[in-house]
Amino acid sequence: MAFALRSVKVPPNSASLEEARSRVFDFFRIACRSIPAIMDIYNLDDVVTKSQLRSTIASEIRKNSHITNPKVIDLLLFKGMEELNNIVEHAKQRHHIIGQYVLGRQGLVQDLDTKDEGMSDFLKNFYKSNYF
Amino acid sequence: MAMRAFVLRHIQLPGQTLTATGSKPHPQWYLRASLRLFSSHDDHLTKEEVIDRVLDVVKSFPKVDPSKVTPDVHFQKDLGLDSLDNVEIVMGLEEEFKLEIPDKEADRIDSCNLAIEYIYNHPMAG
Repeated sequence: MAFALRSVKVPPNSASLEEARSRVFDFFRIACRSIPAIMDIYNLDDVVTKSQLRSTIASEIRKNSHITNPKVIDLLLFKGMEELNNIVEHAKQRHHIIGQYVLGRQGLVQDLDTKDEGMSDFLKNFYKSNYF
Repeated sequence: MAMRAFVLRHIQLPGQTLTATGSKPHPQWYLRASLRLFSSHDDHLTKEEVIDRVLDVVKSFPKVDPSKVTPDVHFQKDLGLDSLDNVEIVMGLEEEFKLEIPDKEADRIDSCNLAIEYIYNHPMAG
Protein backbone atom coordinates (compact mmCIF):
# COMPACT_ATOMS: atom_id res chain seq x y z
CA MET A 1 0.00 0.00 0.00
CA ALA A 2 2.80 2.34 0.82
CA PHE A 3 4.51 1.33 -2.39
CA ALA A 4 1.54 2.12 -4.57
CA LEU A 5 2.98 5.48 -5.52
CA ARG A 6 5.94 3.87 -7.22
CA SER A 7 3.72 2.48 -9.91
CA VAL A 8 2.72 5.97 -11.00
CA LYS A 9 5.23 6.53 -13.72
CA VAL A 10 5.98 9.86 -15.23
CA PRO A 11 5.98 9.08 -18.96
CA PRO A 12 9.19 10.28 -20.51
CA ASN A 13 8.00 12.97 -22.85
CA SER A 14 5.68 15.83 -22.31
CA ALA A 15 4.53 17.09 -25.65
CA SER A 16 4.23 20.71 -24.67
CA LEU A 17 4.66 23.14 -21.82
CA GLU A 18 0.93 22.89 -21.12
CA GLU A 19 1.13 19.17 -20.62
CA ALA A 20 4.18 19.52 -18.41
CA ARG A 21 2.29 22.12 -16.40
CA SER A 22 -0.65 19.84 -15.81
CA ARG A 23 1.76 17.06 -14.82
CA VAL A 24 3.25 19.40 -12.24
CA PHE A 25 -0.18 20.07 -10.76
CA ASP A 26 -0.94 16.34 -10.73
CA PHE A 27 2.29 15.71 -8.90
CA PHE A 28 1.45 18.45 -6.42
CA ARG A 29 -1.96 16.92 -5.78
CA ILE A 30 -0.47 13.46 -5.26
CA ALA A 31 2.03 14.91 -2.82
CA CYS A 32 -0.65 16.82 -0.91
CA ARG A 33 -2.81 13.72 -0.65
CA SER A 34 0.11 11.81 0.86
CA ILE A 35 0.66 14.43 3.53
CA PRO A 36 -1.61 12.81 6.16
CA ALA A 37 0.23 9.50 5.71
CA ILE A 38 3.59 11.24 5.99
CA MET A 39 2.59 13.03 9.17
CA ASP A 40 1.47 9.73 10.58
CA ILE A 41 4.61 7.81 9.63
CA TYR A 42 7.08 10.34 11.00
CA ASN A 43 5.00 11.64 13.92
CA LEU A 44 5.18 15.20 12.72
CA ASP A 45 1.99 16.34 14.43
CA ASP A 46 3.79 18.35 17.07
CA VAL A 47 6.27 19.87 14.70
CA VAL A 48 4.38 21.09 11.70
CA THR A 49 0.85 21.40 10.35
CA LYS A 50 -0.52 20.01 7.10
CA SER A 51 -0.90 23.44 5.57
CA GLN A 52 2.72 24.29 6.36
CA LEU A 53 3.84 21.15 4.59
CA ARG A 54 1.64 22.03 1.65
CA SER A 55 3.22 25.48 1.47
CA THR A 56 6.66 23.91 1.67
CA ILE A 57 5.93 21.58 -1.22
CA ALA A 58 4.52 24.48 -3.22
CA SER A 59 7.58 26.60 -2.61
CA GLU A 60 9.84 23.75 -3.68
CA ILE A 61 7.90 23.49 -6.90
CA ARG A 62 7.96 27.24 -7.32
CA LYS A 63 11.76 27.31 -7.08
CA ASN A 64 11.83 25.74 -10.53
CA SER A 65 8.94 27.63 -11.98
CA HIS A 66 11.12 29.64 -14.34
CA ILE A 67 12.01 26.61 -16.47
CA THR A 68 10.48 26.43 -19.92
CA ASN A 69 11.91 23.24 -21.40
CA PRO A 70 9.33 20.43 -21.04
CA LYS A 71 12.02 17.76 -20.88
CA VAL A 72 13.73 19.46 -17.98
CA ILE A 73 10.37 19.73 -16.23
CA ASP A 74 9.83 16.01 -16.78
CA LEU A 75 13.17 15.25 -15.23
CA LEU A 76 12.42 17.43 -12.23
CA LEU A 77 9.05 15.71 -11.86
CA PHE A 78 10.73 12.35 -11.97
CA LYS A 79 13.10 13.38 -9.22
CA GLY A 80 10.26 14.85 -7.22
CA MET A 81 8.29 11.64 -7.58
CA GLU A 82 11.30 9.65 -6.46
CA GLU A 83 11.74 11.83 -3.40
CA LEU A 84 8.05 11.52 -2.56
CA ASN A 85 8.23 7.75 -2.88
CA ASN A 86 11.25 7.60 -0.64
CA ILE A 87 9.46 9.62 2.00
CA VAL A 88 6.20 7.69 1.84
CA GLU A 89 7.81 4.27 2.00
CA HIS A 90 9.77 5.31 5.09
CA ALA A 91 13.14 5.10 3.42
CA LYS A 92 13.93 8.43 5.03
CA GLN A 93 13.89 9.25 8.69
CA ARG A 94 12.29 11.90 10.82
CA HIS A 95 15.33 14.12 11.07
CA HIS A 96 15.64 14.14 7.29
CA ILE A 97 12.10 15.35 6.90
CA ILE A 98 12.41 17.93 9.63
CA GLY A 99 15.73 19.24 8.39
CA GLN A 100 14.76 19.36 4.75
CA TYR A 101 11.15 20.40 4.82
CA VAL A 102 10.27 21.89 8.15
CA LEU A 103 13.23 23.94 9.22
CA GLY A 104 15.16 26.21 7.00
CA ARG A 105 12.13 28.01 5.70
CA GLN A 106 13.42 31.22 7.21
CA GLY A 107 16.83 31.00 5.63
CA LEU A 108 18.91 28.21 7.10
CA VAL A 109 20.11 25.58 4.71
CA GLN A 110 17.94 25.56 1.66
CA ASP A 111 16.96 29.16 1.18
CA LEU A 112 20.52 30.36 0.92
CA ASP A 113 19.90 31.36 -2.68
CA THR A 114 17.40 34.05 -1.89
CA LYS A 115 19.39 35.31 1.05
CA ASP A 116 22.45 35.77 -1.07
CA GLU A 117 20.60 37.57 -3.77
CA GLY A 118 22.07 40.90 -2.79
CA MET A 119 25.58 39.53 -2.72
CA SER A 120 27.87 40.53 -5.53
CA ASP A 121 28.85 38.07 -8.20
CA PHE A 122 32.49 38.57 -7.35
CA LEU A 123 31.94 37.27 -3.84
CA LYS A 124 29.86 34.35 -5.03
CA ASN A 125 32.57 33.24 -7.46
CA PHE A 126 35.20 33.85 -4.84
CA TYR A 127 33.44 31.57 -2.39
CA LYS A 128 33.04 28.92 -5.02
CA SER A 129 36.61 28.56 -6.26
CA ASN A 130 39.99 30.12 -6.83
CA TYR A 131 39.73 30.45 -10.55
CA PHE A 132 37.16 32.69 -12.10
CA MET B 1 -33.91 -4.43 11.32
CA ALA B 2 -36.47 -5.68 13.76
CA MET B 3 -35.94 -2.66 15.95
CA ARG B 4 -36.50 -0.41 12.96
CA ALA B 5 -39.73 -2.13 12.07
CA PHE B 6 -40.87 -1.94 15.68
CA VAL B 7 -40.18 1.77 15.89
CA LEU B 8 -41.80 2.54 12.57
CA ARG B 9 -44.88 0.64 13.52
CA HIS B 10 -45.25 2.56 16.71
CA ILE B 11 -44.76 6.10 15.50
CA GLN B 12 -48.05 7.85 15.53
CA LEU B 13 -48.83 10.52 13.01
CA PRO B 14 -51.29 13.24 13.98
CA GLY B 15 -54.81 12.57 12.88
CA GLN B 16 -56.17 16.01 12.20
CA THR B 17 -59.90 16.09 12.05
CA LEU B 18 -61.26 19.33 10.64
CA THR B 19 -64.67 20.29 11.72
CA ALA B 20 -66.61 23.26 10.50
CA THR B 21 -65.01 25.46 13.10
CA GLY B 22 -61.55 24.00 12.51
CA SER B 23 -60.68 22.23 15.72
CA LYS B 24 -57.24 21.96 17.16
CA PRO B 25 -55.25 18.84 16.33
CA HIS B 26 -55.16 16.05 18.85
CA PRO B 27 -52.80 16.71 21.74
CA GLN B 28 -50.85 13.56 21.18
CA TRP B 29 -47.21 13.12 20.47
CA TYR B 30 -46.97 14.57 17.03
CA LEU B 31 -44.10 15.23 14.80
CA ARG B 32 -43.09 18.73 13.99
CA ALA B 33 -40.89 17.90 11.06
CA SER B 34 -40.68 14.66 9.15
CA LEU B 35 -38.74 12.54 11.60
CA ARG B 36 -36.93 9.85 9.67
CA LEU B 37 -34.99 8.07 12.32
CA PHE B 38 -32.54 6.13 10.18
CA SER B 39 -31.99 8.55 7.37
CA SER B 40 -29.01 10.82 6.91
CA HIS B 41 -30.79 12.60 4.10
CA ASP B 42 -30.99 15.89 5.96
CA ASP B 43 -27.40 15.71 7.07
CA HIS B 44 -26.07 18.33 4.66
CA LEU B 45 -24.03 21.30 5.71
CA THR B 46 -25.84 24.60 5.72
CA LYS B 47 -24.76 27.21 3.24
CA GLU B 48 -23.55 29.62 5.94
CA GLU B 49 -21.41 26.94 7.46
CA VAL B 50 -19.88 26.13 4.08
CA ILE B 51 -19.21 29.80 3.40
CA ASP B 52 -17.63 30.32 6.83
CA ARG B 53 -15.36 27.35 6.57
CA VAL B 54 -14.30 28.11 3.00
CA LEU B 55 -13.47 31.70 3.94
CA ASP B 56 -11.49 30.48 6.94
CA VAL B 57 -9.40 28.21 4.76
CA VAL B 58 -8.72 31.01 2.29
CA LYS B 59 -7.93 33.53 5.01
CA SER B 60 -5.47 31.24 6.73
CA PHE B 61 -3.51 30.85 3.52
CA PRO B 62 -0.22 32.62 4.25
CA LYS B 63 -0.07 34.61 1.05
CA VAL B 64 -3.55 36.00 1.35
CA ASP B 65 -4.53 39.28 2.95
CA PRO B 66 -7.50 38.31 5.17
CA SER B 67 -9.22 41.67 4.82
CA LYS B 68 -9.65 41.18 1.09
CA VAL B 69 -11.43 37.87 1.35
CA THR B 70 -15.12 37.96 0.49
CA PRO B 71 -17.41 35.15 -0.66
CA ASP B 72 -17.03 36.12 -4.30
CA VAL B 73 -13.36 36.92 -4.52
CA HIS B 74 -11.35 35.47 -7.42
CA PHE B 75 -8.13 33.78 -6.37
CA GLN B 76 -5.90 34.86 -9.18
CA LYS B 77 -7.47 38.13 -10.20
CA ASP B 78 -8.41 39.65 -6.84
CA LEU B 79 -6.01 38.04 -4.44
CA GLY B 80 -3.01 38.07 -6.75
CA LEU B 81 -2.20 34.38 -6.40
CA ASP B 82 -0.82 32.17 -9.12
CA SER B 83 -2.06 28.86 -10.44
CA LEU B 84 0.00 26.80 -8.03
CA ASP B 85 -1.52 28.75 -5.13
CA ASN B 86 -4.92 28.04 -6.64
CA VAL B 87 -4.24 24.29 -6.57
CA GLU B 88 -2.94 24.62 -3.02
CA ILE B 89 -6.11 26.35 -1.85
CA VAL B 90 -8.23 23.65 -3.48
CA MET B 91 -6.19 21.02 -1.68
CA GLY B 92 -6.72 22.91 1.56
CA LEU B 93 -10.47 22.82 0.94
CA GLU B 94 -10.25 19.09 0.23
CA GLU B 95 -8.62 18.61 3.59
CA GLU B 96 -11.10 20.80 5.45
CA PHE B 97 -14.21 19.13 4.05
CA LYS B 98 -12.75 15.63 3.81
CA LEU B 99 -13.49 15.45 0.10
CA GLU B 100 -11.56 14.25 -2.87
CA ILE B 101 -12.14 16.59 -5.75
CA PRO B 102 -11.34 15.11 -9.21
CA ASP B 103 -8.83 16.97 -11.33
CA LYS B 104 -11.28 18.33 -13.86
CA GLU B 105 -13.44 19.92 -11.21
CA ALA B 106 -10.44 21.17 -9.30
CA ASP B 107 -9.14 22.97 -12.37
CA ARG B 108 -12.48 24.70 -12.71
CA ILE B 109 -12.47 26.11 -9.18
CA ASP B 110 -11.06 29.57 -9.58
CA SER B 111 -12.84 31.68 -7.04
CA CYS B 112 -14.60 31.50 -3.68
CA ASN B 113 -17.98 31.42 -5.45
CA LEU B 114 -17.25 28.26 -7.36
CA ALA B 115 -15.64 26.63 -4.35
CA ILE B 116 -18.65 27.31 -2.12
CA GLU B 117 -21.06 26.14 -4.79
CA TYR B 118 -19.14 22.94 -5.47
CA ILE B 119 -18.79 22.03 -1.82
CA TYR B 120 -22.39 22.84 -1.02
CA ASN B 121 -23.58 20.59 -3.82
CA HIS B 122 -21.24 17.76 -2.94
CA PRO B 123 -23.09 14.97 -1.11
CA MET B 124 -20.07 13.84 0.86
CA ALA B 125 -19.00 17.21 2.20
CA GLY B 126 -18.06 16.92 5.87
